[in-house]
Amino acid sequence: MRRVILTIAGTIAGLVALLSFKSHVPTVPSASVSTTGGTGSTGGTSAPSSSPATVPGEFPMGSLAGTLTAGETAVSGQVANTAYGPVQIQLVMRNGKIVKVAVLRQPANTINDIRINDFAFPKLIGETLAAQTAKIDAVSGASYTSAGYIQSLQSALDNRA
Amino acid sequence: MTSVAKRPAPVRHAGTEAYPGQRPPTTPPRSGASHGPRARSRAVPPKKESGRAGARVVLAVIVLGAVAVIALWWHSTPDVSGLGGWLTGAGEVLGLLAGYGVVVLVALMARLPPLERGIGTDQLARWHAMGGRYVVCVVWAHALLIVWGYAVEAHTSVTGETATLLTQYPDVLMATVGGFLLLGVGLISMRAARRRVRYETWYYLHLYTYLAIALAFSHQFADGAAFVNNLAARFWWSAMYLTVAVLIGWYRFVVPLRAFARHGFHVIGVRQEGPGVVSVYIGGSRLDELDAEPGQFFRWRFLTRSLWWSSHPYSLSAAPGKDLLRITVKDLGDHSQALARLQPGTRVIAEGPYGAFTATGSGRGVVLLAGGVGITPLRAMFATLAGPVTLIYRASSTQDVVFADELDAIAAARGATVHYVIGSRAELGGDPLSPRVLRSLAPAIDEQDVYVCGPDGMASAAITALRAAGVPKRSIHRESFEF
Repeated sequence: MRRVILTIAGTIAGLVALLSFKSHVPTVPSASVSTTGGTGSTGGTSAPSSSPATVPGEFPMGSLAGTLTAGETAVSGQVANTAYGPVQIQLVMRNGKIVKVAVLRQPANTINDIRINDFAFPKLIGETLAAQTAKIDAVSGASYTSAGYIQSLQSALDNRA
Repeated sequence: MTSVAKRPAPVRHAGTEAYPGQRPPTTPPRSGASHGPRARSRAVPPKKESGRAGARVVLAVIVLGAVAVIALWWHSTPDVSGLGGWLTGAGEVLGLLAGYGVVVLVALMARLPPLERGIGTDQLARWHAMGGRYVVCVVWAHALLIVWGYAVEAHTSVTGETATLLTQYPDVLMATVGGFLLLGVGLISMRAARRRVRYETWYYLHLYTYLAIALAFSHQFADGAAFVNNLAARFWWSAMYLTVAVLIGWYRFVVPLRAFARHGFHVIGVRQEGPGVVSVYIGGSRLDELDAEPGQFFRWRFLTRSLWWSSHPYSLSAAPGKDLLRITVKDLGDHSQALARLQPGTRVIAEGPYGAFTATGSGRGVVLLAGGVGITPLRAMFATLAGPVTLIYRASSTQDVVFADELDAIAAARGATVHYVIGSRAELGGDPLSPRVLRSLAPAIDEQDVYVCGPDGMASAAITALRAAGVPKRSIHRESFEF
């Protein structure tokens, strides 16, 4: 019985020690930006865009270049490579304001990646539309995705001029 | 005694002795401890010492493997942040360790000759049993931590997350079925349950672990963060599983069948040794090539309508001959009862020899300490060990003593001593194998090698007494039937 308790305690202690040696503060700027992307396009006429998505799992994916209405411009950010995979976003601008954000590339190696995206991107997009800058908070539980998003967003904002 | 019931002692038979009631072996008499020069040269280096060193090497290799597995996790994990990160991280580490642990557990039971001879089947089985309990716990801790951790990360409830994992994550449902199979096998193998389950039932239920491992394999690559982006990790992980699968196929199936074809094992006769104790004589050709030694055992599969589907370990009860082997079995289960009815000519698949309970050849003199049917391997060693030998044979009644004539004849022929310690503890008026008794029966016992074989209770008590009598731990060799 003592051996059982020792084994369990040893395993737990080992796990805690192991995990505690890992970095706990996700190093946000660890995403690297590749030089692809960063293209802008101007839209024609179409129906007005819907309101920004805030429901988990609902956010625009893929380029919105084909859905632009008059006066709107689509600007893609650069690809930010995170530990879990690339993140790239696209902004739709109207009169210098961000009116829509679409996700062009996202980490999707595991279902867990996708589920993290599903709750992180709507929040990030919501924050972006509210702040109109890249100075937004990372989503807890999705620090890498947030870092990649912010980086791609910043490059898109830099590109828009 | 229940433990012995399942596997009567490993016993065997050496080239130098005659089989009572049977024709004498045709091998020329040999002096010394073993049968052929080959076997002998292997037996002579202090084997138990190398066995203990071997055990340390094997344990070190297992631990190094676990470290490599943890390194794989480390490599694939950028950080551990938040409660969800801690839970998921712990779950991932445990999952990888479980995936590695099942392979180690199966490899221990793959009948690898270096492990069987160097460490001993009984020791391997103890590791397997301890490790098995541990790995089943690790598997379930992995499952629960992952569910909890994912639920925290995805901001959902644990029950909802469980449903999501089972229905949406690839192969998780399959792996969960495997987890339940492992849990079931673990429960059946627990000591309390084992006593109520027949050996055969337990054995066959155990085979479900293979199914469990197969069911759980694919979810590791489909969902494991350590593998999705790491082709090399997937390759080596698969190679590890495949290697062990091949070893099992080879040593548990191909090798026994080849030995069957080459040696043509068959029953020559059955002899009643005492109430409920039978000896089975098994003939074959070129048996010296097996390099079996007194003290070892084979797993026997008698090809009759009722017995072919299960194999049982029984020790050789006389030193192995060139064309004849003998096992002696106490009537403790259905299987051993059926052995008494074996017909001459019945074909036999013999898997072995196994076991590290063999002569160390240290030359300091030997004490053999037998309890009940534990006499069988010691009977074989008694006839063949070099140097001064003392046999102490503990039995609860005169009727339970088997081989008395043989033992007396061997003792007379080689000038060895047999002490029978017969009777219940009450009849003998005290501990029948107290340190004092042991020293009076074998005055030089603290300088000699001692081989103990008997029911677990007796063997444990005897080892305690031997230690108290001044016998160093490294000089005590034990064979357990508990595997």
